[in-house]
Amino acid sequence: MKVAYFPGCSLHSTAREYDQSVRAVAPALGVQLITVEDWNCCGATSAHSLDPVLSLALPARNLARAQAAGHQVVVAPCAACFNRLKTALCQLEEGGEAAQTIQKVVGFRFHGGLQVKSLVQLFWEDVGVGAIRRRVCRPLEGLRVACYYGCLLVRPPEVAAFDDPEHPRAMDDLMAAIGAEPTSWAAATECCGASLSLVRGQVVERLVSTILAWAQRAGAEAVVTACPLCQSNLEMRRPAHIKMPIFYFTELMGLALGLPDVKRWMRAHLVDPAPVLSRFYPGVGARRGG
Amino acid sequence: MPESRNGMSTVGAVLVVGAGISGMQSALDLAEAGFRVHLVDEAWAIGGTMAQLDKTFPTNDCAMCILSPKLVEAGRHLNIQLHPGTVLERLEGEPGRFRAILRRKARYVDVDKCTACGDCLAPCPVELPNPFDGNLGVRKAIYKLYPQAIPNAFAIEKRGVSPCRKACPAGVNAHAYVALLRSGRIKEAWQVIMRTLPFPSVCGRVCTHPCEEECFRGQVDRPVAIRDLKRAIADWMAEHPDQMELEPCQERLKGRVAVVGAGPAGLTAAYQLARRGVSVTVFEALPVLGGMMRVGIPAFRLPREVLDREIRFILSLGIEVRLNSALGRDFTLDELFEDGYQSIIVATGAHVSQRAGLPGEELEGVFHGVDFLRSVNLGRSPRLGGRVAVIGGGNTALDAARTALRLGAESVCVYYRRSRAEMPASDEEVEQARAEGVQFSFLCSPVALVGRNGRVTQLRLVRNRLAEPDASGRRRPVPVEGSEYHVDVDAVILAIGQRPSSEALRQAGLAVDGRGLVVSGPDGRTSREGVYAGGDVTTGPATVVEAVAAGNRVAAAVAAVLRGEVGEQGMGGPNEERRVAPFPADVVPVPRERARPRELPPGVRRTNFDEVVGGLSLEEAVAEAERCLNCGGCSECLQCVPACRPAAIDHHQEDQLEEIEVGAVILSAGFELFDARLKGEYGFGRYPNVITSMQFERMLSASGPWEGHVRRPSDGRPPRRIAFIQCVGSRDLRGGYRHCSGVCCMYTAKEAIIAKEHVPGLEVTVFCMDVRAYGKEFERYYQRAQEEYGVRYVRSMVASVKEIPDSRNLLLRYSTEDGQLREEEFDLVVLAVGIRPSSAGVETARRLGVQTDEDGLLRTRELEPGLTSRPGVFVAGALAGPKDIPETVTEASAVAALAAAQLAEARGQLAREPRYPPERSVEGEPPRVGVFVCHCGINIAGTVDVEAVVEHARGLPDVVWAEDLLFTCSQDSIALIKERVGEHQLNRVVVASCTPRTHEPLFQNTIREAGLNPHLFEMTNIREQSSWVHRELPERATDKACDLVSMAVAKARLLRPVPARHFEVDPRALVIGGGLAGMTASLCLAAQGFEVYLVERERELGGMARRVKYTVGGDDPSGLVDRLIGEVLGNPRIRVYLNHQVEETAGYVGNYVTVLRGGDDSRRTEIRHGAVIIATGAREATTDQYLYGRHPRVVTQLELEEMLASGKLAGCRVVMIQCVGSRTPQRPYCSRICCAEAVKNAVRIRERYPASSVVIFYRDIRTYGLLEEHYRRARERGVLFIRYDPEQPPEVRPDGDQLLVCGRDPATGWSLEMEADLLVLSPGVEPQDGTIQLSRLFKLPLTEDGFFAEAHMKLRPVDFAADGVYLCGLAHGPKLMQESITQARAAAMRAAVLLGKGRLEARGIVAYVRERACSGCGLCVKSCPYDARQIDPESKKARVTEVLCQGCGACVVACPNGASQQAGFSKEQILAMVEAALR
Repeated sequence: MKVAYFPGCSLHSTAREYDQSVRAVAPALGVQLITVEDWNCCGATSAHSLDPVLSLALPARNLARAQAAGHQVVVAPCAACFNRLKTALCQLEEGGEAAQTIQKVVGFRFHGGLQVKSLVQLFWEDVGVGAIRRRVCRPLEGLRVACYYGCLLVRPPEVAAFDDPEHPRAMDDLMAAIGAEPTSWAAATECCGASLSLVRGQVVERLVSTILAWAQRAGAEAVVTACPLCQSNLEMRRPAHIKMPIFYFTELMGLALGLPDVKRWMRAHLVDPAPVLSRFYPGVGARRGG
Repeated sequence: MPESRNGMSTVGAVLVVGAGISGMQSALDLAEAGFRVHLVDEAWAIGGTMAQLDKTFPTNDCAMCILSPKLVEAGRHLNIQLHPGTVLERLEGEPGRFRAILRRKARYVDVDKCTACGDCLAPCPVELPNPFDGNLGVRKAIYKLYPQAIPNAFAIEKRGVSPCRKACPAGVNAHAYVALLRSGRIKEAWQVIMRTLPFPSVCGRVCTHPCEEECFRGQVDRPVAIRDLKRAIADWMAEHPDQMELEPCQERLKGRVAVVGAGPAGLTAAYQLARRGVSVTVFEALPVLGGMMRVGIPAFRLPREVLDREIRFILSLGIEVRLNSALGRDFTLDELFEDGYQSIIVATGAHVSQRAGLPGEELEGVFHGVDFLRSVNLGRSPRLGGRVAVIGGGNTALDAARTALRLGAESVCVYYRRSRAEMPASDEEVEQARAEGVQFSFLCSPVALVGRNGRVTQLRLVRNRLAEPDASGRRRPVPVEGSEYHVDVDAVILAIGQRPSSEALRQAGLAVDGRGLVVSGPDGRTSREGVYAGGDVTTGPATVVEAVAAGNRVAAAVAAVLRGEVGEQGMGGPNEERRVAPFPADVVPVPRERARPRELPPGVRRTNFDEVVGGLSLEEAVAEAERCLNCGGCSECLQCVPACRPAAIDHHQEDQLEEIEVGAVILSAGFELFDARLKGEYGFGRYPNVITSMQFERMLSASGPWEGHVRRPSDGRPPRRIAFIQCVGSRDLRGGYRHCSGVCCMYTAKEAIIAKEHVPGLEVTVFCMDVRAYGKEFERYYQRAQEEYGVRYVRSMVASVKEIPDSRNLLLRYSTEDGQLREEEFDLVVLAVGIRPSSAGVETARRLGVQTDEDGLLRTRELEPGLTSRPGVFVAGALAGPKDIPETVTEASAVAALAAAQLAEARGQLAREPRYPPERSVEGEPPRVGVFVCHCGINIAGTVDVEAVVEHARGLPDVVWAEDLLFTCSQDSIALIKERVGEHQLNRVVVASCTPRTHEPLFQNTIREAGLNPHLFEMTNIREQSSWVHRELPERATDKACDLVSMAVAKARLLRPVPARHFEVDPRALVIGGGLAGMTASLCLAAQGFEVYLVERERELGGMARRVKYTVGGDDPSGLVDRLIGEVLGNPRIRVYLNHQVEETAGYVGNYVTVLRGGDDSRRTEIRHGAVIIATGAREATTDQYLYGRHPRVVTQLELEEMLASGKLAGCRVVMIQCVGSRTPQRPYCSRICCAEAVKNAVRIRERYPASSVVIFYRDIRTYGLLEEHYRRARERGVLFIRYDPEQPPEVRPDGDQLLVCGRDPATGWSLEMEADLLVLSPGVEPQDGTIQLSRLFKLPLTEDGFFAEAHMKLRPVDFAADGVYLCGLAHGPKLMQESITQARAAAMRAAVLLGKGRLEARGIVAYVRERACSGCGLCVKSCPYDARQIDPESKKARVTEVLCQGCGACVVACPNGASQQAGFSKEQILAMVEAALR
């Protein structure tokens, strides 16, 4: 299966390990990622709070590039990128005034027949849990994880149009497929505070500590996410006493599939994953932890 | 038959769709009024939602206690035909003469035979969530809807075939055996398997279990381990051979059949035929039985003793076996026919290995899969060497590989041409093989075998890549050029397929196709007559279960021939045509680990042929069986069939169409609850301690799943803090229902109160927007909940509910009114779910072409309630909009009136009267008592020795006949009792059985049909009062039953006939009040053919309605009022007395004499009539608050309306204040209409005057039900709503010519000050002048608030306690115009029921006075609640007005002299019972 890959800016910087693990896991599951040529910002940063046209035109330009390259599916690993791209796609599909404006600004004609999916969605819907289970060679048996979807992966429901907006299960299913034990917990779709981390750190600290406390109460050893901002907020703004590693779901999948570069990804973590993962993969650990 | 206008005759029958409280009320009114009624409901019993309720607001009456008499009445009414489990499919024809096509769903229980004894319950293994209990409890697949259900009969819930059963090629009923196993009935489970599968142990081990692939449990977590469960059952049976007993076979066949081939197909066919008595001989080429099961499957997967055991059992049915007999070699088919076999079944399998066609295939050390396995299994192990290569990816390849390991190979590698994902072998076997050390190499194909000295040494391969999918749907392997390589090997096993040995078959004269397969039809018929074939020989290699399926099919075909049936036979599978059940949406499955059987450690098992996989213990198996979701509902295990003694169960019933003729149709299918799962943020369906209000209602109910104990579902502990969340699915534009559901605020108040009574110290918090306590007495109830019970109300919508993992408590997040975010913990959360029209009802309406709105509502025009878009089809109840019980009941009577008016000419045409033989006089006869004692199946006889009770009865004085009956209430028993009365000249009858509440009228009717007065009957309850309560003490229960019978006989001996008494009814009505309600009621009565006297105090008709200029929905009421006035004045049946008042009245129901005075000359007019309707209205309350009357710019809403109508609005800054004088200690009720009125006027101002502004100060906006949309419209139009607390009302100051209004906005906490051009007050509604005088005149009660008090808040909303007087309109309480119209019609209908009777029968059981003993003290007069007693002015003795007496007995107790007596309960009779009990 060939899909257009939209990495987004985080995956080039703070979430490099996410990008690396995605690029390793996808081919192992028979998915060929073809990076969208000359892609640009998805509009999730300042654009969507400052300029409504720009907030749609930026992602639309990426869709235009994907369309030009003959793609049918655009995959975004980052939840915010996914949200922006999908929002733009919805507007284009609706064909209203906004759609006209966007197409004029970007200078392309939308043909339809394009899909935008999050990576979780692609693995869950197109690869399938059964196929993943069959390819696992190092099942993470007994690893209790809290799957954290945050606010954008499955919402707003009319845009995301995927999974249950209140009680999503796709990532839980993926984790179960690689042998881990997803716990049922209450904060799966809470907000982590997103970019407020930069300007009002205290707000984010409060939100993050609530989320991690719920994860702890549910007996999770680690939190699994599909969003760079969630990952960094949860590791960076956590209360000092909670030392719970936050994984990209692709990192754990890579581990379970027996992919070679796992150690490299894990080095980038701020919380040492060794205490949690060493029983599956001796020697794995964050840079600090050695 | 009367002719209608178009020459067609009108049918005097009405179809009522929906038998809830609404349908029942319509049906009862119409049936009583002389129409035949067909009462249709989808459910298996009538009663609707009300039957589920615990208590009712605002009186806290027990819902079932008040409903139950109606159920019995509707169930027994001669003119009501019940159609339970029925839907209205089509409606043809026209008003007055419709043809209705009904579909009666299969019930699988014959209602006429079912006695509701419940003996079927214990054997039923399937427990399903009980929707009647909001799925909080469980019920069996065979069930009665609820204990008091009418008709009192069971039904079976079938949802389709369970997917497991449908998936099984052999049609093995997995659902049934899993269910039976779960309930611990192993033998029965085994019997179910053995119906279609004689190899449970074999298939319990090696089946490819297609059932598990389809199992819906797999959508929750993992499929149920069905195969392991089958094995557990079979292995348990093997340990208990004494239990091995097949179900008796229904048919016996004669004949001789030969089966060629003793594999799974042949042996199954032999088994099925032998069970039916056919003499079967099996011919087998090999020296052993079992076919591929023995020579193909290795012992480590299927131990030999297991196979032997199962074959032994099959042979024990009397099957003859010839081993070493091969077709073509040792015998021919012709010889078999000559030997006298009538049919021959060929099932010789596919035992020839496919050749690969590789160079070097003939080398030594090269084996073929099945040949290799056969040799090993027959004990001839070939020499392999150290390195073994296996080619292929199927189960044979894996079996060969694992066998090779066990034979001592050092390394075994499986080479497969595609990838792991495409491999046909099952996952579990691949895993097991891997664990044992088998290696795999994918994407490679062999190209040649190379040998040295004639022995293979090298395997040459080429790598493949996968191309597009081929015909099998799997991706096709394509060799990669130049990728050849080789491996060194000592042996190669080619396992690439097998086929039948076709030569012998061809020679036997059977047509064989190119692949060597025997050509056969679906039933196994071959080209040769009398010869059938099945299994691998016809299909190529397949699974055991497929072979078994073939065996079943062929056996069925042969059996049909032996039976003498001709022609093509069907496939014979039991599930062929049947629908798979949908995923069971009602279960909330908690993920639970699938049972894992133990396996031998890989290191141990690769050294021997011991069985690798162990079985589950029985306990593990039962626990695993509990994971089954019971998708199909009834599992069709058929255990109920033999358990049912009256033989009422028929699993083959089908839906049936029925056609009836009716003149009108009433749709009253009611409502359904909002699915709370759609509001994911509240976690319903995930968090066990979040429940719906209906679940809570059932929890509170004594008949609920927990018998009234309030507990948390998660741990059964009583909660300490409960939160109610209001408006779940109501007033909600996102996924919910736009309207207000109208009832939730009140049921929440009720549930909160009752819960607090159940659980001491309980804290209850209600989260809500507005509290809509708008109905009669509702506001008081709401105040009581707060003040008396301490229920806390928080005005906020809850944002989210989260479960706290350890305690399973719930954390509610909400913002307070001043914007603070708050979190609070509760033990239990109740979601007050809204109501929406029943989807089944909406579908019916749409099928009928009746218009529905976008919400599915059968919305009627505002001032034409009850009329749908299709003439002759009426709507009542929640289908037309959410409403509470009294409004529903009122509407039901109102549409009954519409139907009755339409069909007036056919009244009585189809009504049936009971016909009885003349009553036999028993005067002077000595008592001859007959006693009938009921077994009630095993309900009574299981504990009480019924024969002993009969024996005891025979010895009692005057008992001339006594006998026991299996079910006394069954049709045949009823006939028998009648016979016995004649046979033995019985003149008293006693039945000892169950409760008189449901059964006494039946038996009374029985003896009346036998010519006896019904009061010569006595009943005693030896079930509820003896067998059920003393189950542990059978002997003493028998003694007690004897005592009860003695008492009944003692009384029966003294019973006397009570003659029926009748009195005439004057068919004219008096309607007091000429407003909207009075005029509507008068016209409605006149339309039904009754004469009416309409009295109006004013000089003109119209009343308050004249002041209403437009309705909230925009209708024009003045047109309606003018039309009504015209119709009233022009109607020859209505006599109008304007400017008249009632002066005096006398008489009783059916016979009133009333004096009117009035007219310009104050003339006195005396009129006679049979009924009275009070429709005297109410008025706008007066006020002096907020400068009213002192400032010209302060007006009331009615005055504003007049301004708006005349276009003279004084200024455009308008402020309104709600609840002026209402909901205060002085006037504690809510006036109901003011919110709608204010919203109506505010919208009109904003729409007419765009520059205007409107601010409304309110306490709660009570735009209940469909009015909510007007509230929304007002907000959309920019009307500003500001809530105020009664402690801090807005203040109004004059500001010169203008006004200044000051208030506080609770949302911001800011003080507001605004200038206003106009202040509009909503002063509410007050009782009309003269209400008190009228209430005294007619002796009618008033509520505390001064409105008339109806007989019963819920179920008699327009009746007075005194018969013959009815109530409607504002005199009953504040209401909107459409509500008045409905109520007026309802009152008219209730009156019409009475007036149409002609004569009334007085109750038999009434009080009488022994005048000699009466001292005229008058105590009985005071004690009589029904005004049925007077002191005769002349004789000075007490007198009973029998028509009014209700037989309550209060006067009997009150009388100091024993002068007051009660017929049927005389002192002598009671004392005789006491004596009998003490003897």
